[in-house]
Amino acid sequence: MNERPRILVVDDEPQLIRVLRTGLKSRGYDIRAAADGLAGLELFTDWRPDLVITDLAMPNVDGLEFCRRLREISQVPIIVLSAKGEEKTKVEALDIGADDFVTKPFGIDELLARVRASLRRANAPPINEATQTTLEAGDFHVDLESREVKVRSDEIHLTPKEFDLLIYFIKHAGKVLTHRTLLSAIWGGNYVEQNEYLRVFVGNLRKKIETDAASPRYIITEPWIGYRFDPGPTET
Amino acid sequence: MTAVLAPFQQQVNATTVALAFLLVVLLVALFWGSRPALLAAVLGMFCFNFFFLPPLYTLHIAHAENWVALFVFFTTALAVGQLSARAKQRAEEAESRKQEVESLYSQLQAAFERESEAEAVKRSEKLKSALLDAVTHDLRTPLTSIKASITTLIDEVRGQTDEAQPVVLDEDSRFEMLEVIDQESDRLNRFIGDLIDLARIEAGELRLRPRWGAVDEIISTALTRAKPLTTDHHVEVTSEKELPVVRVDANAVSEVVYTLVDNAAKYSPPGTTIRIDARRGDGDVIIMAVEDEGRGIDSRMRERVFDKFFRATRNGDISTHQPSGTGMGLAIAKGIVEAHEGKIWIESGRNGKGTRVVFTLPIGDEEQS
Repeated sequence: MNERPRILVVDDEPQLIRVLRTGLKSRGYDIRAAADGLAGLELFTDWRPDLVITDLAMPNVDGLEFCRRLREISQVPIIVLSAKGEEKTKVEALDIGADDFVTKPFGIDELLARVRASLRRANAPPINEATQTTLEAGDFHVDLESREVKVRSDEIHLTPKEFDLLIYFIKHAGKVLTHRTLLSAIWGGNYVEQNEYLRVFVGNLRKKIETDAASPRYIITEPWIGYRFDPGPTET
Repeated sequence: MTAVLAPFQQQVNATTVALAFLLVVLLVALFWGSRPALLAAVLGMFCFNFFFLPPLYTLHIAHAENWVALFVFFTTALAVGQLSARAKQRAEEAESRKQEVESLYSQLQAAFERESEAEAVKRSEKLKSALLDAVTHDLRTPLTSIKASITTLIDEVRGQTDEAQPVVLDEDSRFEMLEVIDQESDRLNRFIGDLIDLARIEAGELRLRPRWGAVDEIISTALTRAKPLTTDHHVEVTSEKELPVVRVDANAVSEVVYTLVDNAAKYSPPGTTIRIDARRGDGDVIIMAVEDEGRGIDSRMRERVFDKFFRATRNGDISTHQPSGTGMGLAIAKGIVEAHEGKIWIESGRNGKGTRVVFTLPIGDEEQS
């Protein structure tokens, strides 16, 4: 990417906008800001940013509605800023299509790490299952045809559902996946309330892929929200 | 009864005797019910016949009219006995039903009370958690800006990032970060101060120090303090000539005027006018008002804006890009005005536009000075 990545910040807190503008600019990002969802949507259409950072509680069009309307017109990565205690809204935002969240108050490094991860994901070439026969991500090597899975070069054996779950995780590495999203993707729409299914399968998968299932490093739990998959250190 | 009447056999006639026996049957029925009354009627009939109907001391009856008398006595005694016994039974049943209803009522009442207590506890818990949410949001918002600023500055000092991109902070940016930290710390401090004021007002511990003073001075103190907030607005003060002095806590009332001017400046566009006026109202009150030319407040919201943590901006009916307040200013202003036994309310401004916040203050009693 030759141009400076463009980031749209939508927040009704002028002070936070000042800080983010300065903080992100100093890392070479191009920043524009809007004070509410409506202004955010207008600016998005005019400016076409590479990533959007939005607050959830805002006047006029709030963060949730903003994400919803944005998803109707674009697949741009969205990072949601929210506070502890707003888990329900956070899950809603992620279900609507937000990619990640940062909990307030946050250090600028944490936000920057999420920004980099989201931009990297957005710029990664899409996986084409019709032509692609293997998946490589961090410590994971998967042969999609023979359904062979290797973690840190060791072959492991997965049940069909565990295999599907792992593939879904790898394809959405780094992204926060809500319980609902995972259940719907692996088991289908009728199972979105069956969190215990997910807990059991994630537990089994962890036993097979993690070195220490009690303190997992690949499948990270986001309390009350879902899971985030980190394929491991070899990813750059 | 036979023993009482027997000595007067010659003096009393049969009707008196029959009535006296009826009285006895009636009393028996009233006290012991229908079976004893039946027995009393039969016994009465025999006694009447034996002792009072000639030939005396036999069960034989000589005259046909005495047969009639005896028959009438018996049927009447029977009817009186049964009717009064039934009436007594009805009365008892009614009484027991009444008691049943009363006990049911008191049980229901207790249940309702328990239910409404539980409901009240639930409501108060809900309110508490809503207030806690509001407070944590207001504490966290400035903290977020402070933390983001500080970590930006720390990163610059470290001089490197994970991206191996240099952090470029020029002098202005560095100053801006420090300025945000400074302003947001003040905001936190203001918020905590307001919380304490509000807690005092709610606990009824607001201590006023009333002194006689001029309304103009109170307004001018507030305006001097609010000057940095009103640089983009015209401020007009109109006060009636020969306004009496008032006995109020000048600092507290000046705080009310300051809050209203601060709100007016926040919620009206730059270049518009903020009007402050003071006049004498009916009775011994002073009426003061602060009016702006902003978008105004919907009439349905006019009561609610005095609730603590309620912000018109957060609820979408007024849009502003200005930093929002603590959501406690108007609640505190209301507390101060009411502690002075005054009233505060919101009207539309001139020509139905803008917001006009009006409050009254009693002038005060001469004797209190």
